[in-house]
Amino acid sequence: MWMALGVLLLRLRSYSMCVLCGQDFVAQVHWTDRHVEDRARASGPGNDPVEYQRDRRRDRGNRTALTNEVLRHYGLRVEDWGGSKYVFRDRKGRTELVQHLGALWPAAAKLAGRTPDPLDPDLFEALSGAHRDHGG
Amino acid sequence: MEGRGIRRLVTVVTGFLGSGKTTLLGKVLSEPSMANTAVLVNEFGEVGLDHHLLRRVDERTVLLGSGCVCCTTREDLVGALLELLGLDERGEIPRLDRVVIETTGLADPAPILYTIFTDPVLQHHFSVDLVLTTVDAVNGDLHLDRNHESLKQAAAADKIVVTKTDIAEPSTVQSLLSRLATINPSARILEAAFGEVAVDELLSPGDARAPTGPELILPGPDDLHDVGDTHSVSVTFDRPIDWTAFGIWFSMLLHARGEDVLRVKGFLDVGGAGPVVLNGMQHIIHPPEHLDGWPDEDRRSRIIFITKRIHPEELLASLERFRELLGARPVPLGTEHSVSLP
Repeated sequence: MWMALGVLLLRLRSYSMCVLCGQDFVAQVHWTDRHVEDRARASGPGNDPVEYQRDRRRDRGNRTALTNEVLRHYGLRVEDWGGSKYVFRDRKGRTELVQHLGALWPAAAKLAGRTPDPLDPDLFEALSGAHRDHGG
Repeated sequence: MEGRGIRRLVTVVTGFLGSGKTTLLGKVLSEPSMANTAVLVNEFGEVGLDHHLLRRVDERTVLLGSGCVCCTTREDLVGALLELLGLDERGEIPRLDRVVIETTGLADPAPILYTIFTDPVLQHHFSVDLVLTTVDAVNGDLHLDRNHESLKQAAAADKIVVTKTDIAEPSTVQSLLSRLATINPSARILEAAFGEVAVDELLSPGDARAPTGPELILPGPDDLHDVGDTHSVSVTFDRPIDWTAFGIWFSMLLHARGEDVLRVKGFLDVGGAGPVVLNGMQHIIHPPEHLDGWPDEDRRSRIIFITKRIHPEELLASLERFRELLGARPVPLGTEHSVSLP
């Protein structure tokens, strides 16, 4: 039954490609999540839903760790929320739930009061500092 | 449901007013191989198109709450494509292989892609294989100077068809070809004198998703990169990059500056057997495909950014600062390189 449910879930998911809108459409797969879905699909109808979930958890863990390297500059932190969403926290304890990376940046901008911009030289300094802290 | 093989191809034909879109379409549709192609046009125009699957659509858009213009749903297209899909699935028309969508002259093609990528039904039955942009050799320069839409259309193209080359001065044609190659080095540029163009060459290969592409000589670091406030830069990396980290950097860039990222296209080496095909315009990203193998012997990442107002140095500096997260150092590609892009 779980296998069937896994396949059903894969089929129900739809793709949203807009990173600006970040609208919380039902069962949406963002383009940055696509590779995990593709791997599951590639294994065919008999794919192992446990392996799919493990793969997905690993990917989300890596993503939250890397994203937090960037978010530190904005006083924010993100955590995986039950494997289905991400929860944002700022230093004042405010939180925000988002579905994927497309929705993450608008939420970060809302909590931080400014738009996170990878071209911002101030962010460069922060990343350099983080790398030094990690011996990079 | 998910097999690529059964998705009908969608080709978007765009171009400024009077640039020869309809003439080009007429030529394409006269080919016997296009019998299973449906055509959606906004207006019938003066050049009559004779085709059994011709539909006129009245542009109806739904702007989403963010106010982002490229992420606009074209309801008219949803309706027309669903109708065609229904006819095809019920066997009421011959097998539907391709739909050609002709845009209005002022249209930004991004909402068409957004509509197909995000509609819960269409995304499983259609895939955008190609954006063709027509540019009039006589007035193309003027349009590019005066109309931002014309620039966006050139940047969005997988192939650019320069029309009316038979009535333009040869020096004007050469100057325009050079300018278009600078605006969009990833596009294949074809000339169509007297409305004649090789249809096979026009429609395949080198489409937006296929892992093969035209050979491309990229401009060097000191020349041909900038046209007004439009810039392009091609980048590779010194080793495979972390795809998750790239997704963080790129989604952040698109959120902050997406309207200035006119086009992104390329292969990324993420350490797998094959590359990831990346193709996007403004905020719209084609579903990235992780290929099983490389299309040629060149196994480097190679990605081109066409931007407005964002200088190549800014992008390179940003990628350099993200190198620890990406796991690789960016290296700009110059004249000594000849690379294939998807």
